Amino acid sequence: MTSPFEPHDVTWNRVSPRLVTAMLVPAAVWLGVPAVVGVVLSLTVSPWFWFLAGVPAVLLLWTVLLVPRQVRAIGYAERDDDLLIRKGVMFRSLVVVPYGRMQYVDVEAGPLDRRLGLAKVQLHTASVGTDAQIPGLPPDEAARLRDRLASRGEARLAGL
Amino acid sequence: MSTPDQGTPPEPAADDLEWRRVHPVTPLVRGWAVVGAALLILGQQSLEGGPRGGLLTLLTGEYWWTLLVALAAVALVGWGYSVLAWRMTTYAIGEETVHLRRGILFRQQRHARLDRLQSVDIRQPLVARFFGLCELTLETAGGTDSGIAIGFLKGSDADELRAELLARAAGLKVARPASGQVGAGAVPAEPGPLPEGTQDAVPAADAVPHPVAGTPAPVSLEAPQVPVLTVPLGRMIASVVRSGAMITLLVWALAVLGVVIGTGEFAVMSASLPAVLGAGGYLFNRITGEFDFRVAISPDGVRLRHGLLETRSQTIPPGRVQAVRLVQSVLWRGRDWWRVQVNVAGYGGDNEDKNSVLLPVGTRDEALTVLSLVLPDLGVDEPRRVLDAGLDGDSRTPSAYVTAPRRTRILDPVAWRRNGFTVTGRALLLRRGRMVKILDVVPHERTQSLGLSQGPWQRRLGVASFQVHSTEGPVHPEAPHLDADDAARLMAEQARRARTARAAAGPERWMERQGE
Repeated sequence: MTSPFEPHDVTWNRVSPRLVTAMLVPAAVWLGVPAVVGVVLSLTVSPWFWFLAGVPAVLLLWTVLLVPRQVRAIGYAERDDDLLIRKGVMFRSLVVVPYGRMQYVDVEAGPLDRRLGLAKVQLHTASVGTDAQIPGLPPDEAARLRDRLASRGEARLAGL
Repeated sequence: MSTPDQGTPPEPAADDLEWRRVHPVTPLVRGWAVVGAALLILGQQSLEGGPRGGLLTLLTGEYWWTLLVALAAVALVGWGYSVLAWRMTTYAIGEETVHLRRGILFRQQRHARLDRLQSVDIRQPLVARFFGLCELTLETAGGTDSGIAIGFLKGSDADELRAELLARAAGLKVARPASGQVGAGAVPAEPGPLPEGTQDAVPAADAVPHPVAGTPAPVSLEAPQVPVLTVPLGRMIASVVRSGAMITLLVWALAVLGVVIGTGEFAVMSASLPAVLGAGGYLFNRITGEFDFRVAISPDGVRLRHGLLETRSQTIPPGRVQAVRLVQSVLWRGRDWWRVQVNVAGYGGDNEDKNSVLLPVGTRDEALTVLSLVLPDLGVDEPRRVLDAGLDGDSRTPSAYVTAPRRTRILDPVAWRRNGFTVTGRALLLRRGRMVKILDVVPHERTQSLGLSQGPWQRRLGVASFQVHSTEGPVHPEAPHLDADDAARLMAEQARRARTARAAAGPERWMERQGE
């Protein structure tokens, strides 16, 4: 059975592998700090604190294993009339956004993203349900995509 | 679409615009909200006063008059602010735009393009009704709070303004109405500091001397409307009695009663009061909001009129409906009643419950009639058969619907037979639900984007769920658990169909299509 997430006429563009770092650093801070605190407390105060250390540690391990696969699963493709974005390993999703439906395009980059040379492109339609964001693009590619989307959107602009 | 601006905004082409003020009684009506809020807080305090007696002791005590003074102070502040706000609020209708200036400290100037107009509503809250005033709201699809609310206006002025806006949005050329004919009278382009005490005199002086003399008989812009149906009060109430909220309320009340009798503890009763009040409030709002619901059709689109305490008169121009939902809860099945909801850009958000109902309750024929008002052509030979199959058919009834495969019964044991979709020449129809039956209709040209999702269980079974992303509103069209091949094909074909339908769609200015 063919997967509905692999349309046959589409070649996927991958996002930068540096996105793994960008996603793991916050996770390491949020989960690593409680884990370390838990370990220290369990050694000094009471062995019960191993539970406090264990839960974030397991979550962190899971994240470290999952994130590289998640990043590899993100893909986008520009077709003649629409943009395709797919993501997810366990829970997969695919979004088709027609260029004529785009209301505006956001390019965002946080401090960590900038240091790693990454940017996020987000497309907005008139629907709040459209979850069309491409994280982990090199800034040049993000700018190129933004301009390309804007010009294509203009050419095919429709009302609502 | 809107340009919130601080300080002194640049005012392009302000010269040829005729700035008007809203009705001078507006501050009185707006101020009431402040007094009402104060009274509500006081009432709550007196209820929750508890052991100290709270407000009740104060009221019966020596210093009861302090309360009145405090209330008067609150009212004065409220009304004073409203008067200032009124002074700073002006609006103007341009050739293709509507302008609104408002705000005291933070000045805001908003321009809305009329060709992007999504709906025009006239709202009349209870207090405003005593003065015969209305508020006119324009939605322009810029997201939450992007509408322009012009209020309050005299009832007849609001009607005229609505007719003018709709005519302009429709692409009809409208002669500029003479000054003083619409609105509370013209004001100078720059709302300069008026001498104290003359605020009331300005509109009055302008309106009184030449109400009929100077102006020629106004051409009626109002598009003629034809009544389609009204919802009888009895059915309205019966439908609420048979609604899920009412059943929940009853079951809850019985359970609490049982506990009280069983344990002899009356504390349970008071503890459950907030939940009962919440459900009761919802039911009350629903009955008063959808009271005396009338549907009519005009060349400017569908007209809805409803409400008991606050009346609303909505106009949705052609082609502004993004998606339609027909829904039937389990207790309505005996009577074959259906509720029709719509997504209209700008309607979503806070007022979704009040705005987005096209028909609160109606028979199947009425529901389908209302559907045909907003989507006149489904692009299929026998629309009734397709719609009937969508309303209560399932995979056992022969129909054009592509249904979810039998293996998905483990994912959706109750309604798996219902999940399905069909495509007509003009729209995509998605049906689902067995206890609460739902049929969503999305015109191809209104598709925003498409989504496909698949969880681990779905992947094992080789199925995927399909969503159509529509504008914010009560309708979220989706077809759960379709066969993977069906889903992939639907995704590819629907993207193509949406594209061709958009290219062929009518103009935003709906009256221009005859001219072409």
